[in-house]
Amino acid sequence: MAGGLWLASLTLGRFCLSAEDEDVVEISMRSTEDGSIVTFDPIGLLVRPGQRIRWVNDGNNVHTATAYHPKNDNHALRIPAAAVPWDSGYLVNPGDSFEVRLTVEGIYDYYCIPHEMSGMVGRIIVSTSRDYNQASLKPYPDSPGVEEWSPLPDAALRNFPPIPAILERGRIGGSNR
Amino acid sequence: MKKIIAICATLLVLTLPAFAAGPKKMPDASYKKVSELVALPDFLPGMGTLYVNPSTLPVGPFLAYDRKGTLVSTIYMVPLSDMEKHTAFTGLATGSNQVKKVDITFNAGHPGVESPHYHVTLWHVNPESAMVK
Repeated sequence: MAGGLWLASLTLGRFCLSAEDEDVVEISMRSTEDGSIVTFDPIGLLVRPGQRIRWVNDGNNVHTATAYHPKNDNHALRIPAAAVPWDSGYLVNPGDSFEVRLTVEGIYDYYCIPHEMSGMVGRIIVSTSRDYNQASLKPYPDSPGVEEWSPLPDAALRNFPPIPAILERGRIGGSNR
Repeated sequence: MKKIIAICATLLVLTLPAFAAGPKKMPDASYKKVSELVALPDFLPGMGTLYVNPSTLPVGPFLAYDRKGTLVSTIYMVPLSDMEKHTAFTGLATGSNQVKKVDITFNAGHPGVESPHYHVTLWHVNPESAMVK
């Protein structure tokens, strides 16, 4: 498939464990009960090409996992140019989930539609190497650079974990930064 | 005379629960169930089932009904961006003129009001008695 993205179907409820499930990395979509604090956890993740990634709603709020891409409501391009964008749609119920498999190496920034302005963003690095100097890991500029693209809210820009930190630690929790 | 007093006392006792429970009147046709307008569940823990007149978004009022169908609160959702612009919201309707308590709480956003905002909640019943869990 163009761009190397394999998109799994939207699933509801919990998965049954299987040999395939052992290869999935989960990202929780977290919220306090009163909706005042929201985050992806982990907020920063380093994965190998072809890794399956699953976002799961903890049930306290409604979330999306949406790639920064012009096809998603004219948001700036912040995934590799050769990658296919995704949008989970609203995940409403506890356990609602959405899965992708990312194969193109590079930095994937994504956001939650109702909470982007509150800084609910995440960053996934797909790489076989932890070398910060490789070309595929060039940081995205803060400003979109294209007039039609929406600028990122300040809260979102502040919340992306630094690329070197993700490469060094492999995983950065959303609740313990 | 004693009989009249007894009848009045009985009537009063029978009607007290109605006064304590809060109004049950459902909103008029201009109000729509929020779960039918945006991607939110029918019942929101802590708030209840919400109705809003779409023309009043984002501020509302949102009328909140608990599991017994009692109107328990009126909620106004005020975006931070409007506060920073010093926007005035005047003459807002309310679900009831009986207010027991007021909560002002921050919310990071949700479908329908997808920006940081404050919930200004007028409780028409004692919040501890509202069946909104």
